[in-house]
Amino acid sequence: MNSFVERYSTTSATGQLRRAQRLADEEDEFSDAAWGSSAGFGNIVKGSPSFMVPNTPDPTSFLRLHTDDHADPSCRIKIQHGTTTLAFRFQGGVIVAVDSRATAGSYIASGTVKKVIEINPYLLGTMAGGAADCQYWETYLGMHCRLHELRNRERISVSAASKYLSNLVYSYKGMGLSMGTMVCGWDKTGPAVFYVDSDGTRLKGDIFSVGSGSTFAYGVLDQGYRWDLTDEEAQELGRRSIYAAGHRDAYSGNTCNLYHVKEDGWKFIGNYDLAQLHNQGYGYEHRVEGRSSANPPEVVATA
Amino acid sequence: MAADTTAARSIVKMKVDEDKIKTLSPHLLMAYSGEPGDTVQFAEYVERNIRLYQIRNLYALRPSAAASWIRRSLAESLRSRRPYSVNLLLGGYDTATHDPHLYWIDYLGTISEVPFAAHGYGSYFALSLLDRGPLEEGLATLKRCIDEVSKRLVVSPGNYKIKVVDKDGVREVEL
Amino acid sequence: MPAMVSSMSQQPTQQAFNPYTENGGTILAIAGADFSVIAGDTRQSEGYSIQTRYAPKVFKLTDKAVLAVNGFAADGNMFVKKVRQRLEWYRHAHAKDMPIRAIARLIQTMLYARRFFPYYVYNILGGIEEDGTGAVYSFDPVGSYEREACRAAGAAQALVQPFLDNQIYFKNQTPAPGSSFPKHLPLTSVLPLVIDSFTSATERHIEVGDGLEIYVVLAKNSTALQSLQSLRGAQEVTTTADGERVFVIRRDLKKD
Repeated sequence: MNSFVERYSTTSATGQLRRAQRLADEEDEFSDAAWGSSAGFGNIVKGSPSFMVPNTPDPTSFLRLHTDDHADPSCRIKIQHGTTTLAFRFQGGVIVAVDSRATAGSYIASGTVKKVIEINPYLLGTMAGGAADCQYWETYLGMHCRLHELRNRERISVSAASKYLSNLVYSYKGMGLSMGTMVCGWDKTGPAVFYVDSDGTRLKGDIFSVGSGSTFAYGVLDQGYRWDLTDEEAQELGRRSIYAAGHRDAYSGNTCNLYHVKEDGWKFIGNYDLAQLHNQGYGYEHRVEGRSSANPPEVVATA
Repeated sequence: MAADTTAARSIVKMKVDEDKIKTLSPHLLMAYSGEPGDTVQFAEYVERNIRLYQIRNLYALRPSAAASWIRRSLAESLRSRRPYSVNLLLGGYDTATHDPHLYWIDYLGTISEVPFAAHGYGSYFALSLLDRGPLEEGLATLKRCIDEVSKRLVVSPGNYKIKVVDKDGVREVEL
Repeated sequence: MPAMVSSMSQQPTQQAFNPYTENGGTILAIAGADFSVIAGDTRQSEGYSIQTRYAPKVFKLTDKAVLAVNGFAADGNMFVKKVRQRLEWYRHAHAKDMPIRAIARLIQTMLYARRFFPYYVYNILGGIEEDGTGAVYSFDPVGSYEREACRAAGAAQALVQPFLDNQIYFKNQTPAPGSSFPKHLPLTSVLPLVIDSFTSATERHIEVGDGLEIYVVLAKNSTALQSLQSLRGAQEVTTTADGERVFVIRRDLKKD
């Protein structure tokens, strides 16, 4: 009886999933030909993703039990956490800068993570929270941005793309998705940055930073920010902010990936090793080298 | 009607110029607060339904009718698997009877028509002031409430957006 | 419907549903310029008990892709079975093997399909890219992935990965004046590194040991072929005559 109720009720977790799937399903009916064959695209063979859910009264708490390492550090499935990401709008476009560290508990699972997701040549997404959630849904967003182009013969606006993502993750609210992302790009309105997270929040703004190191990044970013920054100054500010976060937040570090979005799309500026940045002048020791706050009396030449 | 303009996440202010008061129709305002995500989603849902009504019937819903519809939406949501956690203030000017209305609505679907109202931590400071304040000078009293919240509340928001609705419709004002 | 309400409230109290266990073991993969090495030990254990001394964790998918699976063995075996099924369907539809970058994306979507009931498995996919370069892709249990040059996962990840960082990426090493570190190591240097990783992990980790299975995938006309043919016990498991070649090398590890 219970499984029967679960299967047909609209108020259960699976009911919510079905509704979320239908939401994504509504406008697009992919044929098998779209992917060459049914072996083409994993669980989105039919166009919208379908998810398997454990047969328990409350699938959400099941997931939490096995994956939430905040509540229980000994839980089995460790989802990667800890990040600093930032993006800001200025006269010359959008700067996107991120660190590259992934941690599972106190272990550094990777120091070479790509936290900027290249949705398409003029849209970038950043990754904070669940790595798979961000990668998967932003790739999925990329597919829909392309479909929008094909249907409407024009590029999707950053606003519309971010709203698509926001509505998508909102339909899974409370089921355990974890993402804090900035959707960045350039459209008819000029440079644009939107913050989207798995709560369903979507904010338009000039400056955003997300992740455990975001407070440190904000510190540098807010103080150094002006609208009329030159391209070089802006890139330096992004890099310096990520360095600051990597220096103070143990969950952030390794390297900084820097992107610049301009009118003709995004450009990868570079990958910078934070340890090298430290030794090449960002570090405190290097900034104070040869200087002193002592104030000795001037030596009077005696002769 | 006033609402602060801060969008915060944990200890960080993500945005300081977020408009949390929606104009639902020419003579209807709705201020909202609550769970991130839910607030905007619910407010947009209400906004579009009220607009749809106006398009279909060529006239806008009166404040009392709008309030009832919104309350019922919340009450139905409360009995679903994942209710909206949104608290609302609904202010409107009834162009048929020429009188103003203010409704206090919470996420449980409680509604009451009141002469003045507040939600959130600020309400603990503002309500007592409103209880004794001169209601003839609305904006001056509102300013005293905001000043008091700024003075006493530990995490007081910096900026407020203030909107007025009367017989001439909706307008934004500076204090 | 009153029946519905009562049946919900009269739910029998249930113990936490725990369909997972951890079966130990370690896997690793290293990408070279025109080859890829994927290895894993063969011990399967639960707690302090050894269940079997030979349970393969490394599986050949195609002639140019090998998948290593670690974590919960039952989930892992099921997952490999399903990946192989999808690859077979692809073969029937396209009359060719799926390229490795497509397999990587396929694995992502298959893992993510279980986002709310995850496979408790850490996957490492190794093989040859369409452009003939060696590739390693590593995954987390819910499908986030990245292409890397080397990766260790499983029980002894924290023992092996720092060793590989030092020996493959030359982390914390400075080259002698006037010289530089090679971008890719030859197979003759990589194989001893793999074997040493596992003998050392066996020494210091109770869940690692018994046997070692190393798969080597060579690109077409790879120069590493001679060194492999002269190697003791290297057995070829290639299925088609043209193109990439797959070899497996087995070694004993300590069994205590």
